[in-house]
Amino acid sequence: MPLHTNKLILLTALLLFPALTCVAQSTSGTVSMSATVSKFVEINSGGSVTLTGNSGGGVTTDGVNNSPLAVSINLGELGPSNTNSFVTAQVPLKLRSNAAYVLSMSATVTSSGTSASRIGAADVGFGLGTISRTGVGVASGSDTNATSGDPTLAANGSVNGTTGRYEFTAVRSNLSAFSSATTALSGPIIMNAVPRSNANGLSVPAFFAVKPQFFENGTTTISVTFTVTAP
Amino acid sequence: MRLRLVTYSSLTALILLALAQSASAQALDISSGGLPTITGTVGGSVTGSSDVTNDLVVTVNFGEVSPLNTNSIVKVIVPVALRSNQPYQVAVSVSGLNNANPQALQASDIGFGIQNIRLLGGAGKICTQSTHVVQSPFNNDPATSATVGSNGRVTYPSSLGNLFGSTIVLSGPILSKNNSSKRQQSDGYVFDAVFTVSPQFFAAGVSSATLIFSISPGPNVPC
Repeated sequence: MPLHTNKLILLTALLLFPALTCVAQSTSGTVSMSATVSKFVEINSGGSVTLTGNSGGGVTTDGVNNSPLAVSINLGELGPSNTNSFVTAQVPLKLRSNAAYVLSMSATVTSSGTSASRIGAADVGFGLGTISRTGVGVASGSDTNATSGDPTLAANGSVNGTTGRYEFTAVRSNLSAFSSATTALSGPIIMNAVPRSNANGLSVPAFFAVKPQFFENGTTTISVTFTVTAP
Repeated sequence: MRLRLVTYSSLTALILLALAQSASAQALDISSGGLPTITGTVGGSVTGSSDVTNDLVVTVNFGEVSPLNTNSIVKVIVPVALRSNQPYQVAVSVSGLNNANPQALQASDIGFGIQNIRLLGGAGKICTQSTHVVQSPFNNDPATSATVGSNGRVTYPSSLGNLFGSTIVLSGPILSKNNSSKRQQSDGYVFDAVFTVSPQFFAAGVSSATLIFSISPGPNVPC
């Protein structure tokens, strides 16, 4: 056999080898998998708003459980013609997370009045009530309430002996403490591994209160923003 | 000159012999069964070959499976092709998924089922005395059989949590009519390996796992 013929056969075989091996059979195959779970937090309404002690006014836009929090409340008359001791709005909040969370709040209070007797941020009491972690899928945990709770409690405010004005005196018990985003509540992971369709979560009422007084007449707008984060 | 001639001839013979042996030695084969698909994902993907003569090498990224993904389920279908000239069994093993936090993604959170066994390319050995059997509990579509357990977590009739070591998921009689020495576009069977994850409040993190599908001689069932 001529030498160049041998070379040709060898070359053909070498070229054929990878062509055949690329369709060679195998007894195993692999499936590699990955998935990502990012930190997730959300705040929603925990249900209907409760307004008490009001004279006139009412809940303009009510909260709907598990819907985005966007309530609007008219506190009504806050002058001495309202003889109730407090006008109080209780706004249920619902928090859910797959990580430790921080709930912060910021508030602005603007009044048409011009004197020191107009309603100011310090005249609007605020606090978070009893925190509840109940229901299937909700993790147990210890939360830290940075407020003093219901601002109408006797321990959280009193009449100033010098000025005669009612003041919310406890720690973070009025909106002046929240002129910028300030922590109101924090805690560990809220939810176990359950779908978002699970309607449970951490429930906590947010109390807002105003003591009717001889405020300067006019109108006042209070705007509050809650923000939950997973640091 | 004569020595060179002998050397070239010997090398050629050896290579051809090796080719012949490697081509005929495999009576069992597993390969890609077609292009894998993914639905319900946010930021995920699946890659694999649409060519059934290519090896089974699939990469699944389920993407975001926290509540940021508002879809009810992320579903991946991986077609797997099988060829054999003898009764066979398919086994699956899983490794790499070992989150210590029970609220993080666990093997039981990844639904896994075997569905839709069919002829590869419309051709294959049709046996009348034995059937292809999906081993319990894997004969289900985890996307439609998922339920919420008493603890609120989504559960599946079968999941990666049902894989212990190398677990047999499928077995049956001869798959191929011809005793071809290489992969054909047809003459075998395909099944769908279905994987699902339901987005939930899992503890944050990234999880990964590797599955190995293998085919081996199975119980000696008649055709």
